[in-house]
Amino acid sequence: MLWYKSWLETRWRFLIGFALLMLSAMGCVFGYPRVIQLLPAASSIDAGGEIGRRIKEAVQLAGTYRGYVWSQWFGQELLQMWTLFAALVGSGSVFSRVSGDAAPFTLSLPASRNRVLGIRAATGFAELFVLAFVPSLIIPLCSPVIGQSYSFGDALVYSTCLFVAGSAFYCLALLLSTVFNDLWRPLMITCGVALVLALGEQALRSASGGGIFRVMSAQTYFQTGSLPWAGLVVSLALSSAMLYGADANIARRDF
Amino acid sequence: MSEALVIEAADLRKEFDGVAALRGLTFQVPAGRICGFLGKNGAGKTTCIKVLLGMARPTSGQARVFGLPASDQTSSVEIRRRTGFVSEEKDLYDFMTVDEMIRFTRDFFPRWRNDLADRYLKSFELPRDRKVKALSRGMRTKLALLLALSRGAELLILDEPTSGLDPAASEEVLQALIGHVATEQMTVFFSSHQIAEVEQIADSVVIIDTGRAIVSGELDVLREQFRRIELVFDGEAPDVAFQAPGVQRVQRKGRVMTIVCSMGSDSVLDETRPLAPVSVQVAPVTLKEIFLGTIHKED
Amino acid sequence: MLFRTNPSSGVPIYLQLMEQVKHAIETGALRAGDQLPGIRPLAEELVINPNTVAKAYRELEHEGVIELRHGAGAFVSATTRGKKAAEKVRAGQSIVSAAVEKLHARGMSDDEIRRLFEAELSGLTKAGGRGE
Repeated sequence: MLWYKSWLETRWRFLIGFALLMLSAMGCVFGYPRVIQLLPAASSIDAGGEIGRRIKEAVQLAGTYRGYVWSQWFGQELLQMWTLFAALVGSGSVFSRVSGDAAPFTLSLPASRNRVLGIRAATGFAELFVLAFVPSLIIPLCSPVIGQSYSFGDALVYSTCLFVAGSAFYCLALLLSTVFNDLWRPLMITCGVALVLALGEQALRSASGGGIFRVMSAQTYFQTGSLPWAGLVVSLALSSAMLYGADANIARRDF
Repeated sequence: MSEALVIEAADLRKEFDGVAALRGLTFQVPAGRICGFLGKNGAGKTTCIKVLLGMARPTSGQARVFGLPASDQTSSVEIRRRTGFVSEEKDLYDFMTVDEMIRFTRDFFPRWRNDLADRYLKSFELPRDRKVKALSRGMRTKLALLLALSRGAELLILDEPTSGLDPAASEEVLQALIGHVATEQMTVFFSSHQIAEVEQIADSVVIIDTGRAIVSGELDVLREQFRRIELVFDGEAPDVAFQAPGVQRVQRKGRVMTIVCSMGSDSVLDETRPLAPVSVQVAPVTLKEIFLGTIHKED
Repeated sequence: MLFRTNPSSGVPIYLQLMEQVKHAIETGALRAGDQLPGIRPLAEELVINPNTVAKAYRELEHEGVIELRHGAGAFVSATTRGKKAAEKVRAGQSIVSAAVEKLHARGMSDDEIRRLFEAELSGLTKAGGRGE
C-alpha cells in the first residue's frame, strides 16, 4: 500500500506533466509545416549580435526535420518541462504530515524509514521514466502524418540520455525533501540550481566542456552520433551520491 | 509479583537545538494499566512519546517498549507493529478517503481486526467515502482512534486524544477506549491536559515537569498519600521551612497556611503543633491539586 | 442505573463504588442473591477503568459483602457475614444521620460537616496516627 500512497501523493503532478508533454509533442510535430513556411522569411532577418546569431542557428537547424525536432523538442521543450517536473515530483516531505512539528502517521507504522523513502523514490522514478519516453514516442509515431519520418531509435537514445542524466535533478529534490518539511523549499532550490546551471551553460557556450543540459539533450549524439558517456557516468554518480545522502539523512533524523 | 513492564524510561535526555526537552526522565508502565501522562505544554510529553516510537533519538538514557530498545531501528519497527498511536495533531493522509486509510493501515498489521474496524465505523458514524481533509476535527480523531484500536495492538499511545473535542465527542472517545480496554488485553499510555478525564479512567499517573517525572505511581496510592493541610493562625502565618519529607508546596495568605504534602500528613502535623495553629484541617487532594502542587510555578 | 462516581472528589473511585454497593444493599435496592452488573458493562457505563471496578468487587468480596462466582458474575452475599456487613453499615448510617442532623441544627453547612469528618478520619485529633 505504500506504493499506492506514493502514487496518490504524486498523481496530479504526474498527470498534468503527462498531459502537457503529450500536447507539446504533438504541437511540435504538427507545427512543422507552418515552420517550413516561415523559414524563408526568417533567414532574411538581418539582426546583429547574439540574437542574430541565434536566429541564424535556429534557421539552420530547422532546415532538416531531424534538426528541427532536436532543437525544438529534445533540446528545448522536453528538456525544460521534464526538468521542472523532475523537481516537482521529487519535492514534498517524504513522510507527508499535517504540520511541521506533527508526529508523522507514516512513522508510527511498522515500516522502516528507508523502505518508505525507497518506495517514494521508486514511484517518482517510474513516473519520470514515463514522462521522458512516452511523449517522445509521439514524434516517430505521428511524423508520417505530416509526411516526415523520424527514427524510433533516435527518440529512444535522446529519452534515455534525458532520463539518466536528468535524474540528478530528481535526486537533488529528493535529498532536499529529507532536509526540509515543506514542498516549496526543495522545489525552489532545485529549480534555482537548474536555472543557474542553464545560464552558466549558455554563457560558457564556446567551451566544449560538459554541462548537464548538453548531456540531457545528447547534443554530441545529434552532432556527431557519439553518446555523451562521460556526462552520463558523472550524472549517475551524482544521482547515487544524493540518493545515498537522502537515505542516510532519513535514517538519522529526528521527527 | 513481578509485572511485565510495557514501557520503561531510564534517565532519558533529549536536546533540540540546544534546548533540553527531556532532562533525565524516568518512569515505568506495567502491563494492563491505563496510565495518564500529565504535564504543562512544553514539559516534554510529546518528545517522550516520539522517543518511545522511534521518531526521535534520545541524547542519552534508555527507553524500552515491550523490553525492546526504542532507539534501535529494527526493534522500533517491531514495537510499532504492536502499538497503536494517535498523534496530537491526528496526522493522517488528507488525500485519502476514510476507506482508503483503513485499507492502507490494515495492510501493515497481520493482526488487524476487521470486526473492530466495522464496529467503530458504525458507532463513530464515519463516512467511508469522504476524504480525510473534509473531516471535522472530531471525526479525524475518531478515525485516528479507529485505526489505532483495530490493529490488534498490545499498547496504545495517545497524545491528547480528546483535545479540541466537544464534551459529547470526548465522552464517545473515552467510552470507546474503555470498552476496548475492557475486552482486549492491553496497556494504555495517554497524555492529556484534561485532568478530570485522567482521574476518570487512569489507574496510574506520571506527571512530567521540565523534562523530568516528578510524580509517578498508582492513582489510588497517590490519593492515599497526598494530603492538603490547612492551618489557621492567630496572627500572620509563620514563615517556617518544613523538615518533614514530602512537603510539596506551602502557601501563606494572611492567617492561613496551606501545605500540600505527598507522604501522609503525620510528620508534617507533628511539626506544625509547636506553631500553635488555631485550627487544623486535613483533607484529601484531587489530582488537579496534586498536579498544581507539584509542578514548577512560572516565577 | 444505581451507581454514580465522582472522579474529582479526591476519594478513590473504587472506594466510592464500594460505598454505593453497600448503601444499595443497606437500602434494599440490592438484595441477598441479586446479581451485580458485570465489570465490563459497569465500567463502560460509568466510563471508568475496568480495573477499578474489579478492585472494588474484590474488596467487597474480601469483606464478605458480595460473592464472586467464577464465570457467572458478582452476587450479593447471602451469608451472615454479608448480612453482618450490611447491618454494620445500617447501624453506622443511623449514627451518622443523627450526628449530621445535630450539626445542621447548630447552623453548620454540609461542607463544614464534611471537613470535620475528614479531619477526624485523617487522624488529626489523635495523638499517634489513625485508629480504627
